[in-house]
Amino acid sequence: MFYIHQHSCISPQQTFPVSRIDELSDAVDKKLQVIEPSYEQIPPGMLRRMGKAVRIGVGAALPILKGLPAPDGIILGTANAGKEDCVKFLNQIIEYNEGMLTPLNFVQGTPNAIASQVGILTKNHGYNITHMHLGLAFEHVLTDADMQITENPSGLFLIGAVDDISVYNYYFEDKGGWYKKETVTGKQLYDSGTDGSVAGEAAAMFMVNGNRTGAAAKLIAINSLHHTDAEVMKKYLQQFIINHLPHGEKIDLLLSGENGDNRLRVFYDAAEEITGRETAIARFKHMSGEFPTATAMGLWLCCRFLQGDEIPGHMIKYSKPEKGLRNILIYNNYKGIQHSFILVAIP
Amino acid sequence: MDTATLKLQLKQQIVEFLNLLNVKPEDIKDDEPLFGEGLGLDSIDSIELIVLLNREYGIVIEDPKEGRKILVNVNTMVDYIEKHRTK
Amino acid sequence: MNRIVVTGIGVISAMGDSVAENRASLILGKCGISLLDMFPSKFSGSLPVAEVKKNNTALQEKLNAFEPGVTRTSLLALHAFEEAVANSGLSNNQLSDFNTALVSGNTVGGMCLTDEMYEDAKKETTGSEYIASYDYASVNMYLQQRYRLNGNINTINTACSSSANAIMYGARLIKSGRAQRAIVGGADSLAKFTINGFNALHILSPEICTPFDINRKGLNLGEGAAFLVLEKESDCPGKKIYATLSGYANTNDAYHASSLSDEGIGPFKAMQQALQSANLSASDIDFINAHGTGTENNDLVEGTAMLQLFKTVPPFASTKANTGHTLGAAGAIEAVYSILNLHHQELYPGINFKEPIPATGLVPVKTYQQKGLEHIMSNSFGFGGNCSTLIFSKP
Repeated sequence: MFYIHQHSCISPQQTFPVSRIDELSDAVDKKLQVIEPSYEQIPPGMLRRMGKAVRIGVGAALPILKGLPAPDGIILGTANAGKEDCVKFLNQIIEYNEGMLTPLNFVQGTPNAIASQVGILTKNHGYNITHMHLGLAFEHVLTDADMQITENPSGLFLIGAVDDISVYNYYFEDKGGWYKKETVTGKQLYDSGTDGSVAGEAAAMFMVNGNRTGAAAKLIAINSLHHTDAEVMKKYLQQFIINHLPHGEKIDLLLSGENGDNRLRVFYDAAEEITGRETAIARFKHMSGEFPTATAMGLWLCCRFLQGDEIPGHMIKYSKPEKGLRNILIYNNYKGIQHSFILVAIP
Repeated sequence: MDTATLKLQLKQQIVEFLNLLNVKPEDIKDDEPLFGEGLGLDSIDSIELIVLLNREYGIVIEDPKEGRKILVNVNTMVDYIEKHRTK
Repeated sequence: MNRIVVTGIGVISAMGDSVAENRASLILGKCGISLLDMFPSKFSGSLPVAEVKKNNTALQEKLNAFEPGVTRTSLLALHAFEEAVANSGLSNNQLSDFNTALVSGNTVGGMCLTDEMYEDAKKETTGSEYIASYDYASVNMYLQQRYRLNGNINTINTACSSSANAIMYGARLIKSGRAQRAIVGGADSLAKFTINGFNALHILSPEICTPFDINRKGLNLGEGAAFLVLEKESDCPGKKIYATLSGYANTNDAYHASSLSDEGIGPFKAMQQALQSANLSASDIDFINAHGTGTENNDLVEGTAMLQLFKTVPPFASTKANTGHTLGAAGAIEAVYSILNLHHQELYPGINFKEPIPATGLVPVKTYQQKGLEHIMSNSFGFGGNCSTLIFSKP
C-alpha cells in the first residue's frame, strides 16, 4: 500500500499539461497517437537523440519532479521502448552489410534508456530499474514501488510507464493479429464484434511514497496472473477483492481494460460478473488505444476521478458512480494471458 | 568543390547527421570546438562523425582516438577531407 | 531466520553445458573464447566470441523443445532453468504453485533472429513464426507456458546488469511475502545485433579480452544463461543450501548513456550499499567477481571505485575472460560462479592478464586456490549507468 501524489500523462487525449478528457480525440489510420507537447525542460543537446518513447517518458517525468526532493529511485515499465531504434539499427546492419554503423540507435535502443535518461538529467544515483514484462510491465512497477516503500517507509519514488507506436512494432502487432482489420472510431471499438483492437501509446508518471498527507490517491493493492482460463481468473479476482476489501465494501467503479477484441470479451465479462450490479463500469481504451502498459494511463485517470474530476460520458459503460467515489478496481487483460488487478482508493 | 562550399556542406551534414536541434549550419563557426565547450558533442557523436566521413567522403578511420585529432573543428575536418577523400 | 538462500543452480555458457562442466573449466582456467562460427556474419571466422557450441537444433533435441517461434535465447534459458529446478528438487506442482515466482533478464531476447526480424519489420511481409518472439518478455513467456507457471513472473532490463536485478527482485518478492520461492536469472544469445552494436561503439576487442590489463582492447561478447532457485531458509529444512544471498544494491551512475563516470560513483555506491544491506564491512569481503569487461572505461573505473571503498582491495577477478561478456546473462552466470567459489571454498585462476593498469595497480587472482571464503561480492554494470552488486555468503 502506498500513496500517489503528483501525476502526469502524455497521451492521445488532452491530458498534458492540463486535462480536458471530455473532448475525445479519435484514432487516425487505426492508431491513437500521443499529442506531443513542447519539451522546454529537456536540454536540446539531449532531446536531439531521443526517440519518441524516451521523449514522452522524460517529458512526462520532469514536470512532476520539479520542486520536490530528489526521489530515492526511478522505477519504470515499458514493453516497446527502444524497439524503433533497435529496428533502425537492424536496418543499418543489413543495409551496410555489417559495415561501419552509427552506434546511437544501438545505445538508444536499450529499453532502460528512459529511466537512465531521467537519472542522468536529474543526477539521481538511487535505485533505477526498468520492468519489461509485456502487459504486466507497469504492474511490476507498482509491485516494486510497493516493496520499496515497505522496505524504506520514508522513501519517495518516481514511477511510471511508457510505450510508443513505432512503424515497426505496429507491423509486428498487426501481423500478430492484435489490431482490427476494419477502421473503427471512438466507442465503436467496443461493439465491433471482431478480433483485435486499435494501436495506442502513452506515458504516465507518478510520485509515490508512504505519506497520506496531500495525496491524490491510495494504491491499496496490485496483483497479476498468467492464465488463459477465465474461470481461474474469476476465482483469483474474487479472492483479491476479499483480501483487500475485507469488510465487504463494494467497489464503486470498475475501470475495465476492454479493448474491443472479441477474444478477450470473456475475461472482461467475468470481471463485471464478479464486481456485480452495484459497481459502475467505465472504459478507457477508446482514449488510449491498446498497448502493453495502458494500465498506467488507466491509473492516471483513476487519480483524476478520485480527486473529483467528473468521469466523461464517453467512458461510462454502465451506471454512473454516485458523487463521492471512494474506490476503483482496474482490471486489464493483455492478449488473453496476462491479467492485471489494481485497487486504488481515496487517500 | 572549393573549400568554402565544402565547409558549408559539411556543416549541413553535421547538423543533419547528429540531429542538432536549434543549430543552423551557418551558425557553426569554422574554428568552433566540436567537443566540450562549443557544440558540446560527446564520445558517441565522435563515432557518428567518423561514420559520416566514411559514408559521405569514403574516409576510413579505424581508431577513434585518431578521430579525435581530426574532429577538432570544421577547419580540421575539412582539411582532412580535402586530403583523404575517396569520393 | 528468514535469510534468502540458494537451493538450486543451473548454467550454460562457453565454459560448459552444466554447473559441473563450468566448474571443471574454471578450475583449469579454460578460456571459452574462439572465432565466431555458429552463424553467418561478416565477422565469422575473424571476431573472437564465447559461443555455446551447440546449435539450435541440438539444443531443441536435447530439451525436446520444438514449439514454434522458440528462439536461441529461450533455449539457453530453458537449459539453465531445467538444471536449476532439478538441482533444487522442485516438483512440477511446486513449479506451477501460485507462490513460485520467475524473474529473469535479457538484453537481446528474440532479436537474436536479426535477419528474421528485419523481414518481419517490413510492411509487405506477412509475418513469420517468430512474430511474437522478438520481445524481451518472450523468454519468460515461453518458460511460463511450458511449465504452466502461475506465480509472479517478471522480465527486467537494466542492460548488462539485468540478471543481477532479476536476482534482487526475486529475493524481494520472497521477503515481502509475494512468493515462497523464486527462480531467478538471465539469458542472452550471441547475435548480429549486439556484435554490430558493440562494434559500432568501438569497444569489441579484436583479440581475446584481457580484463584489468594495461593493454586491454575491449570486450568479447559471449552467450549463455543461468538460473538460481531462491527460497527462505525457514522453508527448506534439510535441503541442500549452496549460499545465502546476504546483500544487494542497485544504483545509477547518472553520467552517460554508454560509459561510466571517471570517479565511478555508480559502481562505488552499488558496492557500498550492498555491504550496508548485508550488514558487512568492506574488510569482510573475501573475493570480488568483478564486472571486468575488458574495456578501457570499465576496468579503470571499476578499479578506481574498488580502491576508494576498500582499504585493501580483496582478491578479485573477472570471469568474462573465460565466458566473454554474456550481457543480460552475465549477472546470473557470475552469481553461479560466486556460489561455486563459496560452496567449494576455492578461487579460480583469472586468465589473460599480464600487466596492471598503472592508475590502479590492481592485479587479479591468477592461480587456483583453496581457501576459506565467507562473503563474495559480484558486480554488474550496464549501459544507462545501471550498476548492481550482489553479495553471497557461506550458509
